[in-house]
Amino acid sequence: MSDEQPADSLSRRRFFGGAGSVAVAGAGGLIAGTGGAAVVGGALADEQATDPATDVERLQATSATLSYPYYGAHQSGIDTPPQDHLVFTAFDLSATTATELQLVLAKWSAAMAQMTAGRPVGKVEPTREHGIPVDTGEAFDMGTQGLTLTLGYGPSLFDDRFGLAKFKPKDFADLPAMAGEALDPAYTGGDLCIQACANDPQVAYHAVRNLARMARTSVKTRWTVLGFGRASAGPHQKTPRNLMGFKDGTRNVSGEADFAEHVWAGDEAQQPWMNGGSYLVARKIHMLIETWDEDPIGDQQSIFGRTKQEGAPLSGQSEHDVPDFHAAVAGKPAIAPDSHIALVAHENNAGTKILRRGYNFTDGLDSVGRLDAGLMFISFQKNPEQFVSLQRKLGSSDRLNEYIRHVGSGVFAVPGGLPESGSYYGKEFFA
Amino acid sequence: MPTSTSRAMSLPFVPGIVAGTAILALALTACGGASSSGTAGGATGSNGAAASVSNGAAQVAISVEKVDGEDQCVPNFSSAPAGPVTFTVSNKDSSGVSEVELLSDKRILGERENVIPGLKAVSFTVTLNGGSYQIYCPGAGTESKPFTVTGGATAGAASSITDQLKAGTEGYAKYVAGQVDSLVLAVADLKTSVDAGDVAASQKAYAAARPFFERIEPVAESFPDLDPVLDLRVADVEPGATWTGFHPLEKDLFESKAITEGTKVLAAGIVTNVGTLKTLTDELAAADGYKPEELANGASGLLEEIQSSKITGEEEAYSNLDLVDFVANIEGSQQAFEYLKPALTQIDHALTTQISTQFDTVNKALATYVDPDALGGYKPYTAELKASEATALTQLIQSLQAPLAKIAEKVATV
Repeated sequence: MSDEQPADSLSRRRFFGGAGSVAVAGAGGLIAGTGGAAVVGGALADEQATDPATDVERLQATSATLSYPYYGAHQSGIDTPPQDHLVFTAFDLSATTATELQLVLAKWSAAMAQMTAGRPVGKVEPTREHGIPVDTGEAFDMGTQGLTLTLGYGPSLFDDRFGLAKFKPKDFADLPAMAGEALDPAYTGGDLCIQACANDPQVAYHAVRNLARMARTSVKTRWTVLGFGRASAGPHQKTPRNLMGFKDGTRNVSGEADFAEHVWAGDEAQQPWMNGGSYLVARKIHMLIETWDEDPIGDQQSIFGRTKQEGAPLSGQSEHDVPDFHAAVAGKPAIAPDSHIALVAHENNAGTKILRRGYNFTDGLDSVGRLDAGLMFISFQKNPEQFVSLQRKLGSSDRLNEYIRHVGSGVFAVPGGLPESGSYYGKEFFA
Repeated sequence: MPTSTSRAMSLPFVPGIVAGTAILALALTACGGASSSGTAGGATGSNGAAASVSNGAAQVAISVEKVDGEDQCVPNFSSAPAGPVTFTVSNKDSSGVSEVELLSDKRILGERENVIPGLKAVSFTVTLNGGSYQIYCPGAGTESKPFTVTGGATAGAASSITDQLKAGTEGYAKYVAGQVDSLVLAVADLKTSVDAGDVAASQKAYAAARPFFERIEPVAESFPDLDPVLDLRVADVEPGATWTGFHPLEKDLFESKAITEGTKVLAAGIVTNVGTLKTLTDELAAADGYKPEELANGASGLLEEIQSSKITGEEEAYSNLDLVDFVANIEGSQQAFEYLKPALTQIDHALTTQISTQFDTVNKALATYVDPDALGGYKPYTAELKASEATALTQLIQSLQAPLAKIAEKVATV
């Protein structure tokens, strides 16, 4: 197996051997898989001048110094390779004036720049005895950990409270009711959202906690989901498994052309601030795990349309074989037309694709004593309709529906990236 | 312990940077429009020159910006003549610095928070005597920059903040004394009802006494032996220890609804311990009195009390009077704040306004729980009420506590 893995064809010791910042930068790029997108914080790279004793420590150091640029055409956390952990939080504004909202967005923009660069948002240890620490401190010295912070606006932000109706993207509205939903209002909606992703959960949590804290007089947390074990692959990443044990998202959006066609919003939103942005759809999907676990393998595979171990389409041998929806075995379709992959395949949906960037989650036990776990599904698309059309199909005929419930939902307009330091999200709203 | 303040202060002031950015800083100020005053007269201002006076105050512009990749505070003048000085602060592109203070030694004389890139300039005015001050920018590469005021003392200068703080702490001491006196009477009344074996009257007297204690709880807590004997909840009683004070009495009156000899002993104990509280608070007021930061920490501590025990319904588990305590904690907190307010307004006007507004919001929300027919005047905090209201109450308190927690630092003396 190691022969097939390009990274393993290099001696790991040799690869990480030069412990100087250059070697670390190279390693960061490889792990990120996108080369140019990954940069290494200078100050943190310098700390690597001392040679870590073990390979484990070297890997940790690499993750600690992995960082993505905050300023650019797009917000990070969309086309950046999915990190290991997620903290997704939706907020409601308790602010009553546009000026308060402006302050929240400006504060957050500056603080997000700080934290994605691995810096605290203020003093962890004030010099004056009576000073309240500005930064809560639990991520101090932990490095960047590939932290990305992605901000989105819910449709409700553009109601009449802040006079922002004229800035609402065309046709932007809450998702319509769909089959297969059992939505809990406690996990639905929000005026704002933050998607925090990092290779360390504490770094991601710290970021959301501090953003919420600095805006406590103006925002309140509406719902939050902690995701572990990324459930979607970015370019050059191995396809991860969901909590049903299946590889999901083998055919995810990748490559610049796909992003341009399916993910990045442009003029159709009729709002300049959405250029280079996208729409984030969040769905908290509870899995009926105990029931699923007792389902025979044949049924499990038939429901997904893939084999469990390899992840191959039932029409092929290996994971990345292109599914053949016309292939037949003993006169029956090899891949059932109501299987998960058949229903969502772009071939069967007029070419529709979405970028999946979900995470597994667990919240202990639910109110009736079942495992409360599942998929925090997050997708990005240039139009929420892409998700809606796919989900309508899934909700009405996916055999997986017997084992899942959509309990949380939100859609958020994610503005394009900030061009440079000194700019902030929403500036155009307050001119 | 070496502080970053002293470390940064040892760095030399760099004249070149100041001169080079003076015009930029002024331009930002001019288009910011948040300052009620005009811009500094000396557009060619440089180190050594004192800021010139316009609109009755010397005008100093501070630009927060990246200098060679590092966040810095860049004032256009490093000195001003004695008298009122207006500092106008704008953030060009520094994401790491969001507040600017003027310090005299470690004492905050004035400050502005929320100095955020992209937002309008903000300003504050302080009246300064001749002497050395520091412009303090937490998070900047050089956090503290010296600022010199030339000339002598001016009438109504910085010391007025000290005077106002002193008046505030004296006022608060009187407030505490008043609450304790009322508490003495209320618990005497409680004891009378208990001794008479009248459960209904005792319940009423219990509800009437509690707010006087809850309003000044941080003061009572400052006497380490007194709070446990008066206000310990059952969950906090060490195994084997005797449980005394309000809450075992509450249990008798509201759970078993029976007055025993033990109940009478409890009531008598409360009277004794409240007497001790009066003696100790009187002594405290006569000796050193209260420090401004004690008022501030007390105000914030009362909100902590609400969050840790009232919102959960642990405090008044038998009587469900938690909202009565809640309101009393808020009143006590607001009183402490009000006594600091005149000084705090001078130090940080925006924060003071924000806290006042949040108190209004909280009080307005609490008014919706008023129930004149209920014991203590507020709805009983039942499991149902808790289930429906606890989250909203938590958010209400958190949005007050965050700004309120900041005031101790602003009024602390060194």
